[in-house]
Parts: sequence; structure tokens; C-alpha cells
Amino acid sequence: MASNVTFELDEAVDFAIVGSGSAGGIIAKELSTAGFKVVVFEQGPHRQAADFTHDEYSVIFESELLGGGPPVSGQTFRHDESDVATSPEFQPIRYAQTVGGSSVHFSANFWRFRESDFKERSMLGAIEGTNFTDWPITYDDIEPYYTRVEWEIGVSGAPGPFDSYRSKPFPMPPLPVKSSGVLMEKGAKKLGLHAQNQPHAILSQPFNGRSGCIHCGHCMMFGCEAGAKSSTLAAMIPLAEASGNCEIRDRSAVFRIETDGNGRASEVRYYDKDGNERSQKAKVVIVSANGAETSRLLLLSASERHPDGLANSSGFVGRNLMFNAHGAVDGVFAEQLNDYKSVQVSRVIHDFYETDEKRGFYGGGGIDARPLWAMTPIFHAIQGMPHDVPSWGKAWKDEIANNFTRQMTFAIGTTSLAMDRNNITLDPTSTDQWGRPAIRATYRDHDDDLATVGFLIRQAEALMDAAGAEKFWSHGVNLSNGGEHLLGTARMGDDPATSVVDRYHRSHDVPNLFICDGSSFVTSGRGQPTMTIMALAFRAAEHIAAAAKANEI
Amino acid sequence: MNKINTLSRRGFLKSTGAVTGASLFRIGAPSLAAIAQAACTARDTAAPFATLGSDEARDIAAITARLIPTTDTPGAAEAGVVYFFDNVLGNYQAGFLGPVRSFRDDLNAGLDKAFADLTETEQDAALHRIENDPRFEAVRVLTIFGFFAMEKHGGNKGHVSWDLIGFKGHHGAWAPPFGYYDAEYAREQSDGE
Repeated sequence: MASNVTFELDEAVDFAIVGSGSAGGIIAKELSTAGFKVVVFEQGPHRQAADFTHDEYSVIFESELLGGGPPVSGQTFRHDESDVATSPEFQPIRYAQTVGGSSVHFSANFWRFRESDFKERSMLGAIEGTNFTDWPITYDDIEPYYTRVEWEIGVSGAPGPFDSYRSKPFPMPPLPVKSSGVLMEKGAKKLGLHAQNQPHAILSQPFNGRSGCIHCGHCMMFGCEAGAKSSTLAAMIPLAEASGNCEIRDRSAVFRIETDGNGRASEVRYYDKDGNERSQKAKVVIVSANGAETSRLLLLSASERHPDGLANSSGFVGRNLMFNAHGAVDGVFAEQLNDYKSVQVSRVIHDFYETDEKRGFYGGGGIDARPLWAMTPIFHAIQGMPHDVPSWGKAWKDEIANNFTRQMTFAIGTTSLAMDRNNITLDPTSTDQWGRPAIRATYRDHDDDLATVGFLIRQAEALMDAAGAEKFWSHGVNLSNGGEHLLGTARMGDDPATSVVDRYHRSHDVPNLFICDGSSFVTSGRGQPTMTIMALAFRAAEHIAAAAKANEI
Repeated sequence: MNKINTLSRRGFLKSTGAVTGASLFRIGAPSLAAIAQAACTARDTAAPFATLGSDEARDIAAITARLIPTTDTPGAAEAGVVYFFDNVLGNYQAGFLGPVRSFRDDLNAGLDKAFADLTETEQDAALHRIENDPRFEAVRVLTIFGFFAMEKHGGNKGHVSWDLIGFKGHHGAWAPPFGYYDAEYAREQSDGE
């Protein structure tokens, strides 16, 4: 679908936005409906709901929505700076290249952060060897925007016992409980824990002219064919386009932001759909390309005036990468769960959310009940089989025939600590299909992150037992080898020496350059960052629009 | 998205490098549709193979039939998994054609007849001898792909694999109750009122 407006390259638009995902899509809608002229750059194509399929092989194993995987992206990964990063077979930094970005293919688990998330450093003290610090904003600052996300994007849910306050109820009830959620509730009751409704950026009923969830079961890693998942593709981009002020320029890969003699961002250089170099003039540039792509673009935009990369006088661009650590405990039950139907998660436990100093380490997380591997057959066959079963032959076949509909997972999402050693840099040799230096990730989880995963695995095993699993097994504590949550790499802060953007997402170094996405995060939350990315985007857009109207950019 | 990062056992990620090699999207929808149609037609009419030689195809069909055997339920043979191999090894898994061929050659080396002509017991023994080879894992994963992937990719004829495990992926929409435990939960809730 072509945008209904196109802007001239040589005529400066009010805003050039790099990225159409959770942040970019919202900011584009907010600014264009406020009357500003906006061009959104998206390197992937403009797929629509009807383009999304249940084709597991293509979507998951051919990286269809990811743009093709490592041979195309050239991405590299290593655990330590002393290693030469190599290109793994499975894409290490996983985000969707499509209009709507990763909000198209995410599972849509949609927690708010808590009040504590924004001030943990003050509560807990310093952690040596890390850049652990408070956010420059509080829960009070962001709460109105959480509410806006819920009511404007469309969020289903019900409050849980540990949630921070909300100024308005959820706009619609939670999605129905699944067998995995019922079993979690059963286990939690026995252990004195609290299984609460999982909030979703998925419509439980028709909302704002969109249809409700049809429970097809293809949320995680898939695009929503019904438009019920509240991606920016479904919820924001159509409003931006309808404003007549917004051009979505898809298949356009930005490789550099130019600055003028005054040190202001002046144009966005990109490869168009035919691979030709183009340049769009803009009065203001907003980068919302995700925590990995945003870092790469700023580093690629180095110049005489900005020798270490644009907006990088602090040296913090690309640093403090946080993936959220993960763990999983699988269990098989006597009766059929059929958990491949409907959304991934219906119940979650937040009893272990806060850091408990008695445990002896920083961190906390959530445990949710979901099919995970039992979502689709190939995924299950390759990742979800019990570890004590042969990998082929009759025994294997009998096992999968029994387990696919009877299996579920307690999935664990936790904190990650911000550290210098975990970062995004430009790979010195590898390039992507456009010839841009490839994203290189260097990442080794903090010992406390791994200890948190281990602690939560033990809780999840106890829950499986209490829930009555016939058999269960853990996937163990593993170093992260990549991630989907791309957080912290252009953090917000009041001090230009230790942060990249201010509390309103304006870069400290370049007055007309704003950066808003997962890179803005100061701490990692507990494994569901998208709600907070979207809330930050609504908040940033409000301030950017006000500043633009007041001629203060 | 919240995919768990734990690696599979048996080095799946290590051995399936080319799996992520070429996205279907980049090949383009029209050619993809043509490929998929050709693959289905070939399978449904038992047509000659496009990529594999007929002896190769016999052996690959036999290998896949031991990996996912026919029991009282259909296996790789009934699903037509060899047609998936023939399809993808000529297209977006072309990087695996060489390894699959050399794997089959090594499997046959030292045998006095073709792998396909061995008894099932002999075939299993031959596969066990080579099952730690990374190419075995590649063949195993391709067999899983071919067995469970949508019919349009060449295998999974008549959705036999989905019927085996109880996955009704060809249905689009569902309504609660989805499974035994949530149905029971709903009954308990209504009884309580």
C-alpha cells in the first residue's frame, strides 16, 4: 500500500523518523495528526494483515519477517571483547523488518513497569562494575502515558495484586484463561503464590474499529492476520497515513544522518527500494530504529565534529545493552492442554519481581505459563522435546504424538544489569546487504542476571510439580547468545557525561536530534519492555510537538 | 517477542547454518508460489524429482522413513518428505544439497547394496553409526521441516503429521475452551455460582 502523500527530498520535512516500530509508529501518528509533515523510514516492506501467514517454516526458520537472517544482515556476536565476533547461524539480534517493526511479531505480553523499576539504584545502592542507576523520570511521570497506550493502542487485562497504581481501568477485559494458565493457578495456590491475568496488546473484543482476537495461536514471531494484535501497523500507522501528513517510506534503509555547519541534523541518507542512494532533508530527525539499529546509525554518522558517532560525546552510544535474561521449564500433563490455540500467555506470577536482598544478588523477574515450543510443530520438534528421549525413530515419534497437545512451559523473564562490556558496535569486516557495516553485539550476562534465572528456574520447577506435571525438565541457565529486547544503548539521563538523551529524548549533543526506543531505557525491567517503549514514545511525542510549536527545537 | 534463548540439544543451530540463508520473501511471491505448486504437483502425482537423482531420492526417502517411521500411524514416507527435500535443496536450502549428497555417499560406503535396499534393522544400525555427524543432524532437521511444514513446501501430504500430534493448524480461529483443564475450570467456576 502506498502512502497517500509523498514529500520532496530537497524540501525539508518537519520530521524524519527512522523506524516505524513500537516507538516510531506512535511518534509518527502523534506528530502527523498534530499537523506536522512527517516521513517515516522503514527498511522492511509495508506488509498488511492479509500478508501474514501461519507458515511456521518460512516465518521462523527462514527468518521471513526478520529480513532473511545472518547471511543478509551480516550480524556478528561474541561474548567477550577479546574474541573475534562471528556470524552465528541463527540471527543474534532479532527484530522484524516490516512496517510496524517488532510490534508486528512480538507476543504482545504487556506489563507496565512498577514504581520501583525507575528508582532501584536509590533503593538498593550501587552495584560494582555496572552502570546501574535511577531513571531521570519516575512512575508518576510515565503513568499517564501507560494509560494512553492502553486506551489508544488497545490493551486487554485486569489489575494484578502487585501492580503499581493506574489512573484508569483497562479498556477491555483480559483474554480467556488457557489450560496452561489454569495449571499455573493450581500450582501457585498450593505454593502461596499469585497467578494473575497477563495483560496483552491484543484485543479481547472489537475496539476502535478493529476486530478482536480469533485465538488462532500464531502471535509469537508471527504477524497477526486479524489485526487484533495492537502493533503500530494495526493501531497507529493507519491513523498517521489518514492524516495526510505522513509518508511511510518503506524498503528504505537509512545509513547516515548528516549534520550542517551549525552542528544540527540536516538530512537523512538512505538506500531506496532499488538500492539507490537518496537523501531526505528534514528540520528534525527522530531515531526510533531499536536499540541495535539506533546505535549502529549513530555510530555510522560520525563526522569531524562528532568523531565517535553522532550524539556520542558521552561514549554511551551502544553501551549498556540489556537483553533480559531468560529461562524455561517444560512440563507434560496427563490431559490435553491444546495450548497451541490462542495467545501465548494467560497467567503470570510476579511474586519474585522485586530484588530480595536475602537471595544475595540483584534481580527479579516474572514466570508465565505458555505453550512456548508447543505453539507450532517444528518449533516443538526441534526445541521442545524432553531431554531423555531419542532424537529419532519410533520412540521420538510416540513422544511427540503424545506431548504436543499436553505440554507447556513456565517461561522466565528477568533483569539484566547495564554494563560497559555489553554493547553494540560496528563490525570491522562484516556488512549487511546494503553494504552498511554489520551490527556487532558483545554480551556476557552479569553473574546476578544468571543467578536470578537459576533462582526462578527452581521456583518454576516447584510450580510444575505443584501443578501436577507428569514429567518436567529445565533448559538450564545459559549465557544469552542474542536477544529480542534491545535495551539501554542510548540511555536517558540528566547528565550529558553519562547519558545520550535527556528526559524528553532530546540528544544532549544535537538539539534537533531525538532518540526514542528501547535504547532509552536505564534499567531493563523484568522481561516485557514494549509497553514502556510505547509509553515513552507517547510522552516523547507530546514534548517534541510542544517544543516544535514553540520554536524550541 | 519473547523467545527463549536456550539452545537445543544436538547442535541444531550449529548444523543448520543455511537454514536462515535465503528468505522466502526475497525470492518473491510469484516464484515462490510456482515452486510450491510444482512441489505439490510432484508429490501428489509421484512425478520425477527435479533436484535429486532417482537413486538419491530412494535413499533419502528410506532415511527419512527411519527417522520418522511408519507405525500404526503415518510417518515420513506417507508425508512425502522426500519431495520436500527435492524442493528445498533446489531452492532456498540449496546450501544443503552438497552435505546431504555426501552424507548419503558416506552412508552407502562399504555397503554391498543401496541403503534403501537394506532391512529396517540394518538401516537403523547404519544410521546409528553416523548419527553424531553434523550432516546427520542437518538431515534430521530437514526431515522434521518436511514432515511438519505446510504442504506447500512439498511434504506433510494431507496434513498427516499434524493429525499425528493433534495440531489443527489449518483451522484459523478457535474459541474457548481450548483444552481439558480450562474446560474443567470453566465448569468449576459456573458450578460455584
